Amino acid sequence: MKIDKLEDEIISELSALYRRSGYKKYKPSNFEEYALYQENKDFLISKNVITFSDLSGKLMAIRPDVTLSLVNHIEVKSGETEKFFYNEDVYRPTTGGKNYKEISQTGVEVIGAIDAAAIAELTILICKTLLAVSPSYVLDISHMGFVQGLLNEFKCGKDTVAMLIKTKNLHDFKIFAEEHGVDEKLISAFTVAVSDFGQPTTALEAADNTVLNDEMRKAVAELRELYGVLQKFGYGEKINIEFSAVGNADYYNGVIYNGYIEGVPHCVLTGGRYDKLLHKMNKRGGAIGFALYLGEIERYLKKENDVVDYLILYDKKTQIKALELAGSKQNVGYSVRISANQQVNVAYKTKIDLTVGEVDG
Amino acid sequence: MINIALPKGRLGEKVYSLLSQIGYKCDEYSKDSRKLIFSDVNGTVSYFWVKPSDVAVYVKLGAADVGVVGKDILEEYEPDVYELADLKMGKCKMCVAARKSFMDDTSAPLRVATKFVHTAEKHFATVGRDIEIIKLNGSIELAPVLGISDVILDIVETGTTLKENDLKIIGKVSDISARLIANKASYKFKRNEVSAVAEKLKEAVKGYD
Repeated sequence: MKIDKLEDEIISELSALYRRSGYKKYKPSNFEEYALYQENKDFLISKNVITFSDLSGKLMAIRPDVTLSLVNHIEVKSGETEKFFYNEDVYRPTTGGKNYKEISQTGVEVIGAIDAAAIAELTILICKTLLAVSPSYVLDISHMGFVQGLLNEFKCGKDTVAMLIKTKNLHDFKIFAEEHGVDEKLISAFTVAVSDFGQPTTALEAADNTVLNDEMRKAVAELRELYGVLQKFGYGEKINIEFSAVGNADYYNGVIYNGYIEGVPHCVLTGGRYDKLLHKMNKRGGAIGFALYLGEIERYLKKENDVVDYLILYDKKTQIKALELAGSKQNVGYSVRISANQQVNVAYKTKIDLTVGEVDG
Repeated sequence: MINIALPKGRLGEKVYSLLSQIGYKCDEYSKDSRKLIFSDVNGTVSYFWVKPSDVAVYVKLGAADVGVVGKDILEEYEPDVYELADLKMGKCKMCVAARKSFMDDTSAPLRVATKFVHTAEKHFATVGRDIEIIKLNGSIELAPVLGISDVILDIVETGTTLKENDLKIIGKVSDISARLIANKASYKFKRNEVSAVAEKLKEAVKGYD
């Protein structure tokens, strides 16, 4: 299924949407010191970064991501909140790709004091963003607190369990649980994390019944509140509570988002709460944001079409007539291509051949 | 319509016969045909026959909604997919083997011949042994015999090939069997169809232990 929109149409629609919500446009520099990415390489989608030495010999990088440079350059006063959006190209291999690519990306970041309303507003903005691409979308919402809270209960094999959650692998977990004598309560909580409940309320109910500690309890309460707001504003049906979708625990600490569009076989939007990244960079406050990887869904979008309304073929005798005719058509809004070459490689709706006086189309 | 990628060969045929018994029969299918795609006339299921190591690629890229693939491939490539069921077929073990006379000389990196480079790196990192990898594509057992490696890391089914080449197992890395995997996006938009295949298969292989 093709998405019936051009990339440019989506970008301008989204920019207008973010501006209306009071988000400021942010324009990052193309280059950053490589150290910024090296210190936070697990935050990046790909660890491959294009580097070069600047004129003073400092190792620089062509930005593979926007969030890190934004967080690096923005200082927010205590108690205040700054809201930004961007549409930029980033330079990294595509997911699973073997070469560097210029990938267009649109995103939103909220930095500073984050309250429940800010989270709800951002989540609604995510729904509207996905809707701008296609009405057939699903937003997976998870919470780091639930999964980290669960993982913290394991005395060993945390990485293995994290991997099993991510792949919804219950069968291998059962073997792991048997080998390590894992408690029944943990098995129930793991089962909830990888199960598919369909209805968010059912998922939240099941999660509530299996929480093992305060971290998990708080996470479920936060999701419940958020889902309540989303339902109230008519987005309930598009939401899927999916605990198996988590981000890197060194950076993310709250709500996690993964957006899908029907017809695109991979995740098109990711985001979440990343206070930990700010703290890692010695900054105060909280942060939440998301990015839509337009560049990675290019092939599923409508293509820039090159169909002209009129193709006018001329020869030496008819060239002035061709220019006149083209001008008159253009004046009333048609697109016209004139050509002396009969074999011109152009798609057209109507062909006017002045050399023989034929009209076809 | 659900698209299923199956590995060409014995395992794929076994899985197909199981699927056909639980409601995913495709009348067009014939074991002897060279065709690679079979679709059911009712439009409920389509099968693709692909190279076993490519199943995960087809599923990850969404050409197939689900697929059947060995755990060895999943561990080697770690594709971003859901692993929904253990089909308990095609069982074997990922093992480290060496010549019968092998003694580990810890003063030098261990030379490991294998097809499974990433798996070897992960395994020896967990046991804390420095290694040098020799990537081979087949007849791995030959490497220690000819002295180009100290050990091999490979799949062992019956152990006959090892025995005939004077090799012995010196450690098990993991148990391998066929797994049902699903594309994450397909799982969102074809939830009922994908879950139904997974649940029916799980039920069908219950007694296979």
